[in-house]
Amino acid sequence: MKNLLIKELRLASSPLSYIFLVAGLMTMLPGYPILVSAFFICFGIFHSFQFSREANDTLYSVLLPIKKSDFVKAKYMFTCAIQLIGFLICSALTAVRMTALSGAAPYANNALMNATPVFLAFVLLVFSAFNLLFVGGFFKTAYKIGMPFLSFGIAVFILIAAAEALPHIPGLEFLHSPAGEKPGVQFAALAAAAVIYCVVTLLACKKAQRRFEKIDL
Amino acid sequence: MAVLEVQGLCKRYPGFLLDNISFSLESGRIMGLIGRNGAGKTTTLKSIFNLVHPDGGKIRIFGLDMPQDEREIKQRIGYAGGAVDYYKKKKLRDISAVTGTFYSGWDDAAYHRYLDAFSLDENKTPSELSEGMRVKFSLTLALSHGAELLILDEPTSGLDPVSRAELLDTFLFLKDRGVSILFSTHITTDLEKCADDITYIAGGKLIDSKPLNAFMSENAQAGHGDSLEDIMVYYEKESLYEKLAD
Repeated sequence: MKNLLIKELRLASSPLSYIFLVAGLMTMLPGYPILVSAFFICFGIFHSFQFSREANDTLYSVLLPIKKSDFVKAKYMFTCAIQLIGFLICSALTAVRMTALSGAAPYANNALMNATPVFLAFVLLVFSAFNLLFVGGFFKTAYKIGMPFLSFGIAVFILIAAAEALPHIPGLEFLHSPAGEKPGVQFAALAAAAVIYCVVTLLACKKAQRRFEKIDL
Repeated sequence: MAVLEVQGLCKRYPGFLLDNISFSLESGRIMGLIGRNGAGKTTTLKSIFNLVHPDGGKIRIFGLDMPQDEREIKQRIGYAGGAVDYYKKKKLRDISAVTGTFYSGWDDAAYHRYLDAFSLDENKTPSELSEGMRVKFSLTLALSHGAELLILDEPTSGLDPVSRAELLDTFLFLKDRGVSILFSTHITTDLEKCADDITYIAGGKLIDSKPLNAFMSENAQAGHGDSLEDIMVYYEKESLYEKLAD
């Protein structure tokens, strides 16, 4: 598995996957739907799938003395590694916004979602949708990337709309607080999203492995 | 000893059936897999390498079962679908460095020996190489991990006559060192120069599989022709004139 990950990094990944991690900095933007940052991080990973497809990475990999299922697992591990880095960037900046900058006027008067643990929970839900819909969809054919990315895009649109709408529902106004009111509830939501991310990614990986085994290359 | 045994291989696609293909390749021999375009050569080779899933039949390599012992088998064989057509913008040095980590028998000294012999520059990318040089790089990778069996899909297609002659020389050199080679082609003159055995597939069916000399003499006696090209034309030529006139 280590060899396959090195192969991903040295041969099969696009530099855009790393460059798009900068989108994590969008967490600091006031008056902007900051959940879009998670979409851009996934968009960077999408470029690696596109790049590896154009480079015939699948054929090269299955000719190596590996199990086909390990190829799928390596793609998921690479995806999760990029997502983890993106999540850490968003988390660090969320912590800054919730503490040192919680009283800053641009955030106090922010009309859109503030960076809170619930925001981070939604980041993980966006990543879950990517792993399920895009990566899982890609391994139906190991070639087509258009439809899987479109279905992921629709899911992201719904998630962003839901995230922005939640604080406007009576009783959930605390979600808009820059300092993160009701931290117990917020961190519980984050923990639940983390569990969803792990379960969805694991199940999507298993299903993708089964699908990939059946493909004639 | 047979390094490769294919028994009753079947694969069905819409509009095409690879039907009950059986043959075996002995150690240290070169076998040519011939047939016209669309005959089923590539499907046969891909089935052997578990790139497509056969609907029936059995494949044994080095006495091991494919696909059950896939990883162990792949450590000992090399496959090249002609020229390298992956990572075209990556340097050969990077491709080989990564490839080598997957093989327990990777030999760096052998790798550099083949690079020198084939005049390959590690700092170039596949996109900067000619078709012939990319075939040679493909072979270099396969040989550097000590492949005992090479499976090559139309390696001489698209090569100029000199490159083809060099490649056939390489096959003979490898054969002398005990490497077995199975390669598909429709360029019959290549086989007459280096093949020991012939397996002939037409329309998804096995026509014959035997030593080249026996195949040639039997067909000559039957009046099918004196060269592989004449024999193929005898078996497969359709009268397009009559078809077009209908």
